Amino acid sequence: MLQAHSILWHYLWIAPNILLLVLALLLWRSHFRQRYPIFLAFAIVEGIEQLVVYAADIIPSVAPGTWWLIFWVGLGIEGILKFALIGEIFAHLFNPYPSLAKPGKFLIRGCGIVLVLAAAVAAAYAPKDSFFGIVSGAHLLEQTIYLVESGLLVFIFAFSGYFRLKPTRAAFGIALGLGISACVHLATWAVLANGGLPTSRRGIFDFVNMATYHVCVVIWFYYLLVSPKVSRKNTIPPKGPSAGPPIGPTPEEDLEVWNRELERLVHP
Amino acid sequence: MTLAIILVISAALALVFILGVTVSRSLQISEGTGLAARIQPIDVEAFRNLIDPAEDEYLRRRLPASEFRLVRRQRLLAMADYVKTAGKNATVLVRMGQSALAAGDVHTAEAAHRLVDNALLLRRNSALALLRIYVALAWPNSGLAAAPILRGYEQLNGSAMLLGRLQNPAAPVRISATL
Repeated sequence: MLQAHSILWHYLWIAPNILLLVLALLLWRSHFRQRYPIFLAFAIVEGIEQLVVYAADIIPSVAPGTWWLIFWVGLGIEGILKFALIGEIFAHLFNPYPSLAKPGKFLIRGCGIVLVLAAAVAAAYAPKDSFFGIVSGAHLLEQTIYLVESGLLVFIFAFSGYFRLKPTRAAFGIALGLGISACVHLATWAVLANGGLPTSRRGIFDFVNMATYHVCVVIWFYYLLVSPKVSRKNTIPPKGPSAGPPIGPTPEEDLEVWNRELERLVHP
Repeated sequence: MTLAIILVISAALALVFILGVTVSRSLQISEGTGLAARIQPIDVEAFRNLIDPAEDEYLRRRLPASEFRLVRRQRLLAMADYVKTAGKNATVLVRMGQSALAAGDVHTAEAAHRLVDNALLLRRNSALALLRIYVALAWPNSGLAAAPILRGYEQLNGSAMLLGRLQNPAAPVRISATL
């Protein structure tokens, strides 16, 4: 069952990518295209790229060297799109609030630099896991991309969590799927790139990666297509005569005193 | 293999963190009402007295150096409590503002957006101020702590103003105790 070219293997490689393309098609028709153009591009490119790599894998006439070349090109494009997508998530979360956008950009850039350095160190110390440079290089590039990607996503989750900033459903769903995928892939590629595992035992990691990716595509479906339950609870008191009698000072009085006090604080 | 173990553990921790945030987010959504009640009003007069440089200068002149350092540390700790409360209030304001963002009324949504922005600034400044207060605790003679607190509290002004626009005049949200 958990063997390459088994039915499950074919399903896990094809199904999530077709689902992702269907998701892109469904989102294309809505306003989502204007709001999340990079996610849409990611969904289309990732879906097509994975199907091309799959096709190259099952077509006997494709030589192993050619397959790895296709894999490398796909990996490069995928990596660029993922970082652009992280930028899009960040922009949706923090750009509406100038007080956080500037320090947030500064911090995420700093975090990115640290992560790239850490990934470079990890890659430098990794043992060569394959006789062929094109294979071990691809494994290290995977590890590098997922290390930086998961670190940046953790930063975004932590930064928004500290400020109790509630992202939109779509931005949260995209970040969640990408985050889960990045963490699981980082763990598996770290083992593959550094573990020195025999080829016979590597197949299981392919299944873990593909199954996780499938779960993430389902998460994106859920967050981007399923409407949330509408809550009528509102923390803002009702306006109008039904609001009841006045309690305490009016906001204008409140603000006047604050203004006065703050003027005294700023200019003692 | 050691590197692989480190990376696997890091990835597992990151995954747990992300899933934890997801769970807390869903709890936050179901939390609903009662946010305004969580605001702890701050005594402006007492805080103003604490950060007044003239008060510090007076104490410095009147007290022996060792005693001044002790008093200054106590004042800094009291300042820290006020700033922590301001930071907590800011998070409540963020959540209140975000709840109002979905309002159908354009003016309310705009005011809510500005309230969230100002509350975020207050939260950020209170964190920086707190950091500087703790640094000042090590050097009680320095004047490190006052400036960032002032900057942090400047933002309360904007937050309060926007909150005033958002809230019902009949039931204002109180962010200070002496008003």
